[in-house]
Amino acid sequence: MTTLQRLVIGLLAALAVGSASAQYYSGDHAYDGENRNEVSLSLTTGKNIITGPCIGNTVHYKHYFNNHWSIDGGANLQYTKELYGFKAKGEYHFQVKAFHMFASAEYMFNHYHRFNTNENVGNLSMRFERGYWDITLGGSLIGYNMMGDHYTEPLTLTFGAHATLRPRTHHWNVGLLFRNYDDFYYENWNINWGLDFYYRFSPRFKLFGEFDIRPAGSMSQLASKYETIGKVGLIYRWK
Amino acid sequence: MEITMKKIISYSLMATMLLAASATFSSCEKVSPQGVLMGNTSVDDRVKQSLVNYSYIDVALDKILPNDMGEYSFLVGSDSHITIDPGRLTEMLETGMEHGDLFYCHLGDLADTKAEYYFNTSLALDLFKVDWAEKYLTVDEELSEISGKTIYIDKRTGCFGNLRDYRVPFYPVVGNHDITHNGWALFNDLFKTSFYEFTVQMGENGPIDRFIFIDSANGTLGEFQIDEIENGVFQRDKKEIRNTFVFTHTNIFRPSYNEFASTYCREELYYLLDKLADWKTTIMFCGHVHAWDDRMFGGVRHITMPSMNFVDHPSGGDDLLVRITVKKDGTYTMDRVGLYSKQRSKEELESDGYKTSTK
Repeated sequence: MTTLQRLVIGLLAALAVGSASAQYYSGDHAYDGENRNEVSLSLTTGKNIITGPCIGNTVHYKHYFNNHWSIDGGANLQYTKELYGFKAKGEYHFQVKAFHMFASAEYMFNHYHRFNTNENVGNLSMRFERGYWDITLGGSLIGYNMMGDHYTEPLTLTFGAHATLRPRTHHWNVGLLFRNYDDFYYENWNINWGLDFYYRFSPRFKLFGEFDIRPAGSMSQLASKYETIGKVGLIYRWK
Repeated sequence: MEITMKKIISYSLMATMLLAASATFSSCEKVSPQGVLMGNTSVDDRVKQSLVNYSYIDVALDKILPNDMGEYSFLVGSDSHITIDPGRLTEMLETGMEHGDLFYCHLGDLADTKAEYYFNTSLALDLFKVDWAEKYLTVDEELSEISGKTIYIDKRTGCFGNLRDYRVPFYPVVGNHDITHNGWALFNDLFKTSFYEFTVQMGENGPIDRFIFIDSANGTLGEFQIDEIENGVFQRDKKEIRNTFVFTHTNIFRPSYNEFASTYCREELYYLLDKLADWKTTIMFCGHVHAWDDRMFGGVRHITMPSMNFVDHPSGGDDLLVRITVKKDGTYTMDRVGLYSKQRSKEELESDGYKTSTK
């Protein structure tokens, strides 16, 4: 391990336990030619109409058992939002002709401390990937407990689309996306519009980032400002 | 060459998505294509404007009922989507007057945004005002003498004003279809506010119920409205409140999997539920999904209303409105109320002065 690698891992570890904050988007880390274990950390900052300026910290780990099966887990600490969560996800990767397909099952828990609300989310999704784009379709069951009551929303459609300027195997990329979910939430009709990028500066390290606009309302409800988020992070990958 | 082809496919996919979305949304008069990304009216602006306009409304909204009035009732409807025929609105108003309801609440999507449809809505209210005034308004000699104008007073509520400015006690919130295609200008011209409250007091020293109307037409309360609420714009801190009734357009709960889900983002949803409990809300009324739902959550009764328009219910129905009767002891009863009118012909509507074509 080089000095640089030690330095970066040390920095990641320090950030993970430190007071800084981050958020890492793991949902669309597409297949780029090989499946490698990875750990990542990212920093999120932005503004939300409910909680005001926000800053958060997320860590994520993904482990491949083989070329098909993987599991990953993540934790989310959003300090100013007072939102804390974790998730666990299993994924099966297979190929149908030129399509890379990823079937996944996920459980997510969020504690919205400000509103004394616990949220449980289950999601089943299928992601279809080609070299320059991917589409995700699925369903989410979202339930929440607050004030001694519980409500589980009827099954919600999960959808997302993402297109990139370069092929996924390229060492840098820029893309556009829209989706009704993110690292640590699944929404109903609220769409998250984003611009993302990555730069792989070595086989093991990748810098990534995203700028998202998440308006409230959609379709016939004229969209209105809700949240703007920027995130940047590092991924360390190994075989 | 292969990369070039892939790029072309990728860009084509993106362009197709945008074009498909644009074509879909622009082909529907009820939807504003650019509104998918950013609406042309902001809830923040509407609420600011509402707070300014609120102070200019001539007629005081707070109502003090006579000491001997044992109970009162109000009627709630939603999603009338008025076009050429405001018949269902008129029927709602007449049904309420016949029963003796104190006022009316409407949960938004009042008319489908066109100037002619708002003209029809306005005309329906004006025509009804004549009947209402005849039944409930009397000239207040004392106020008339002081002001030098003829001032009318509502015998039951104490609300007063000159007849021109007197408004039928019809209290709507703004819905998403009221704001598409710059519709807020039309709605605002008629109703002035999208964010307001009033109280009903049972006798001079009696208990007070409050009625809060909030703007969720964009699927969010917006930063400014939330700030105002947090800063105590409502009368909670000023008066001892018995019942609180809240009215807004966008639904919180989804009646079933085949209805539209709530469009409040997650934190806003939890904020709102928390706030309703904090207000000790008796009933929260929502519309938007055109479907009935009635449930208790966090000590608050949440009612999601069906629509009352001709398209969804051409023959009407027994349960399109809700009447709440508040008793002297503060308890209430709820009744479903029917609407049965059929859409009139263009000739009939035109003879009554309604506009049946749009430019």
